[in-house]
Amino acid sequence: MRGSGLVKRFGDRAAVDRVDIALAPGECLAVLGPNGAGKSTLLRMVATLLRPDSGALSVCGQELPGGRTRARAGIGYLGHDPLVYLDLTPRQNLELYAALYGLPDARERIDAGLDRVGLRARSFDPVRTFSRGMAQRLGLARALLHDPVLLLLDEPYSGLDAAGARLLDGVLADLGSARGAVMVTHEVERGVSLAGRVLVLRAGRVVLDEPVAGEASAFRARYEELVA
Amino acid sequence: MNAARPSWFRQLRALLLKDLRLELRTRDTLVAMVLFAVVAMMIFQFAFGGRGQDLSAVSGGILWATLALTAVLGVGRSWVPEREQRVLDGLLVTPVPRDLLLISRAGAIFAYLLAVEVVAVPLVTIFFVRGQEPGDLLLIGLVCLLANLGISVLGSLLACLALFARARELLLPVLFLPSLLPVVIAASGATQAVSGGTNDLAEYRGYCLFLGVYAVIFGLVAYATYEHVFDD
Repeated sequence: MRGSGLVKRFGDRAAVDRVDIALAPGECLAVLGPNGAGKSTLLRMVATLLRPDSGALSVCGQELPGGRTRARAGIGYLGHDPLVYLDLTPRQNLELYAALYGLPDARERIDAGLDRVGLRARSFDPVRTFSRGMAQRLGLARALLHDPVLLLLDEPYSGLDAAGARLLDGVLADLGSARGAVMVTHEVERGVSLAGRVLVLRAGRVVLDEPVAGEASAFRARYEELVA
Repeated sequence: MNAARPSWFRQLRALLLKDLRLELRTRDTLVAMVLFAVVAMMIFQFAFGGRGQDLSAVSGGILWATLALTAVLGVGRSWVPEREQRVLDGLLVTPVPRDLLLISRAGAIFAYLLAVEVVAVPLVTIFFVRGQEPGDLLLIGLVCLLANLGISVLGSLLACLALFARARELLLPVLFLPSLLPVVIAASGATQAVSGGTNDLAEYRGYCLFLGVYAVIFGLVAYATYEHVFDD
């Protein structure tokens, strides 16, 4: 994934202002910044949910906007919400997404996904009866169902229970050489501990983009200075 | 990652099945639409005349005024689960073509209207028409199919447009009802032409042709604009 000179304006305000972003296969990038810094807007542009006002963006080997439908096949997106229908069961939700992604072995993938997030026993209950954490775990199963090459995570730990957080930690730690992940978070310590590189935004602009090594707590002091 | 291109038919079937499952589970839309249509007809019955009065001359207008208002209700309910349960991003980030989202929504609206008409058309016959022939009902059924096509295509497009608007509950009827006027006029005319034993088939054919052209025009408008509705 590579973006250069990305700009997104809402009215007169530039939510994202001339941002360059790149992600190599196997890499996990944490996007940090205070509220209103443009983190989620940047992620939504990469997820093809928002069209940049200017700049060039290429995702999963596809130039946007022309190749966005093909790019979407390689994106797994998890936001604050699980993005599932509350009045359907987990299985019905995953069947819908399997069909939209055109997965040939849907039943096996759905069973494996439900097992992975520990929801197989509740797979015929409406999601409305689930706790927030369970619904978010289902959201994780949805995001991983089609084995995406690019994981885009927007505050993914908000609402996740302990089991779900451990599961997501495992996914991010075991990306492999072909997959990449971009995680937007305001949890500096978690972002630094899981990602190999951090990108810090302030008022829509990049103020830091570099690999991280060392103590998360040591980075915290630097981060506070950057966004002050 | 699965590299195979998803089948258009499988995606459409999945979207329609999802709508059917949601409706069967919640019964939010269809029951409300049928109840609304029945109540609206009862109001027309009380407003236009007492018992035994022959209202054949206005029966087509009553039917299609009722169905147009009922359609507003159904179209207004479109995208409610996606909006309230915040699922829209999940759909939009999949490789589903945007025209398919529009077509599936039109399919759902079409099906809801058809279900309402199964109740409403016989009710109109009972309440307002004297001497209705069974064959006339088949001709009215064809009017319903053609009118539903136009209503569902237009309704789907406007529902998608209103999805991202702030005052969508206000905006949708204000845009939708005036745009439906040609359908109401033509469908009422066609229904009237074959109601109560006044079989004017030439007039009927003309109105049906108009309904078909209306559906084609709004189908083309939807085709030209769907990308911008979702992606801008």
